[in-house]
Amino acid sequence: MIASIPMAQQANYALPAGYQLDEYRIEHQLSLGGFSIVYLATDNKGETVAIKEYLPNSLALRAEGEIKPLISEEHIPAFRYGMKCFFEEGRALARLSHPNVIRVLNFFRANDTVYMVMEYEHGRTLQEFIQKNRAVVTENFIRNVFTKLLNGLREVHSHKLLHLDLKPSNIYMRNDYTPVLIDFGAARQTLACDTPMLKPMYTPGFASPEHYHQREFLGPWSDIYSVGASMYASLAASAPQAADSRMEKDKLIPAMVRWEGQYSDQLLETIDWCLCLNHLYRPQSVFALQKALTEKVNKPKLIKKNWLGHMVGKFKGKTGTS
Amino acid sequence: MKFTIYQESRPGKRANNEDRLAHSYSREALLMVVADGMGGHYYGEIAAQIAVQVLVESFQREATPAIRDPFLFLQKSMTNAHRAIIDFTDDHNLKDSPRTTCVACIVQDSIAYWAHAGDSRLYLMRDGKVLTHTRDHSRVQLLKDQGVINAAQAAVHPDRNKVYSCLGGRQTPEIEFSRKTPLEAGDVLALCTDGLWGVLSGEMMAVALKSENLMQAVPMLLGQADIRGGPNADNLSILVVRWEDSYIEEGATPTSVISTQTMSRDTITTRLDEFGRNPNYKTELSDEEIERAIEEIRSTIQKYSK
Repeated sequence: MIASIPMAQQANYALPAGYQLDEYRIEHQLSLGGFSIVYLATDNKGETVAIKEYLPNSLALRAEGEIKPLISEEHIPAFRYGMKCFFEEGRALARLSHPNVIRVLNFFRANDTVYMVMEYEHGRTLQEFIQKNRAVVTENFIRNVFTKLLNGLREVHSHKLLHLDLKPSNIYMRNDYTPVLIDFGAARQTLACDTPMLKPMYTPGFASPEHYHQREFLGPWSDIYSVGASMYASLAASAPQAADSRMEKDKLIPAMVRWEGQYSDQLLETIDWCLCLNHLYRPQSVFALQKALTEKVNKPKLIKKNWLGHMVGKFKGKTGTS
Repeated sequence: MKFTIYQESRPGKRANNEDRLAHSYSREALLMVVADGMGGHYYGEIAAQIAVQVLVESFQREATPAIRDPFLFLQKSMTNAHRAIIDFTDDHNLKDSPRTTCVACIVQDSIAYWAHAGDSRLYLMRDGKVLTHTRDHSRVQLLKDQGVINAAQAAVHPDRNKVYSCLGGRQTPEIEFSRKTPLEAGDVLALCTDGLWGVLSGEMMAVALKSENLMQAVPMLLGQADIRGGPNADNLSILVVRWEDSYIEEGATPTSVISTQTMSRDTITTRLDEFGRNPNYKTELSDEEIERAIEEIRSTIQKYSK
């Protein structure tokens, strides 16, 4: 146990640039997570792809200059168990072919672990986007992006899958502003529940209340809560209060109160609708939510703020993002 | 002390493996334990784990390097295991106490001492034949002893899995002790759960375990039992020791033979799978399974790509 502690804190080294992995050439690391490393790579036809490498840093360690990760014997069962989850993600994505869902191109085994090859899109995550382009986050932007995103989510749900980890950093924005759902690491087949040992995976602020305690109530409405939280976060530029702490004391200012007059009432009401703590009060299907987002509404009357209101707004903005 | 030892447990066709095995040895004594947990909600597994753990821990404390009184040791530690399971039941407010069978054996100075509660068995085999085995603490065995039913009827009797003595139950277990049994070189002691003896006769096991190479013979035997068990095969577990001829020349000793001659007086070697840490039977993904999963994903990608 003691030996595993320093290991967990250490970050894994990425494969070196130029490394030939199966039929792909590693260009550079795109992101490093607790469970995987994502690389930018080129296939033998010169196409750019993203490759996700299964490498949980608490169980497998790749030292500097090494290729194969070091997995201690006591961690092998856990490592292989995690691999099962990685396969789940691959299985989930392989069946989905939709412009708003990331495509899996290949799956293979190498270096004592497994790799998932995905199409690479030029763009950035919605998370980065909303941080850097505050001015672009208009009513139309929200409606457009989320309506398209929900097309992808509909496809996911129609395969009896739940994403279960929807959040701005798992929504990728192509340069033409079309969104793509990425990272299905938490996705589970809702029907085949044969893996009760799975540790729930979720992100505070975006996970629904049933993510925490009543996992038997998980359903499309749980992903819808996350969509609502993502819309809220797009306006606020920060994550809303986590659902578990909302269950204790709900301090979340309804979108309707917080942004009244800046966006249409109908949009703000829709966001609050998705963020209902009781799953039965939320839109029950993606379709219902899409209908609300595509409804024709009157333009909001912009309230011109006086200088005091402006200052208060600035402070609010500051406290919101800190 | 020279012996070859091998233990293996398989879940059979069950989702859960409630069997537990362990062995532990010092320079002068060897302990072997097999437990088969009973009771719903995975707790049988815990009862079995508590039983083997209590026995192994007692052994580690008392084998210094010999056990002063092996029968007293077996009696004390099995009773302690029984109490430990009841404590667990009370601590967790369980309505129904989990229970476990238990068979344990000490070999010291080439003399075997064993004790059991329930229907996990110990077989003593010599020259490919069963010399003796423990008598199950089951209703069926009683009926058989009273001449109410014969062996063939016992094999299919609906109550054949019901035991009247076990560790952890509300009743004090009835622990049955063997005699002091001297071993000859080549003798085989096999401790196993009902998943194994229920589908393979003692004679068949004795023949299979006559083989020099236990590391090969035991997995084959389990494979056979697994097939015979059919679609509902129970958990299968066996712990086998072959007592080796001490007159064999050092050089001729196969490498798998354990010699405790060179062990220091205060060393104890144990093989006991930790609870939860090695839940192989639940989570282990074999190489073939990995290949199959990858193949499946690849073919799905093919199918759905335009």
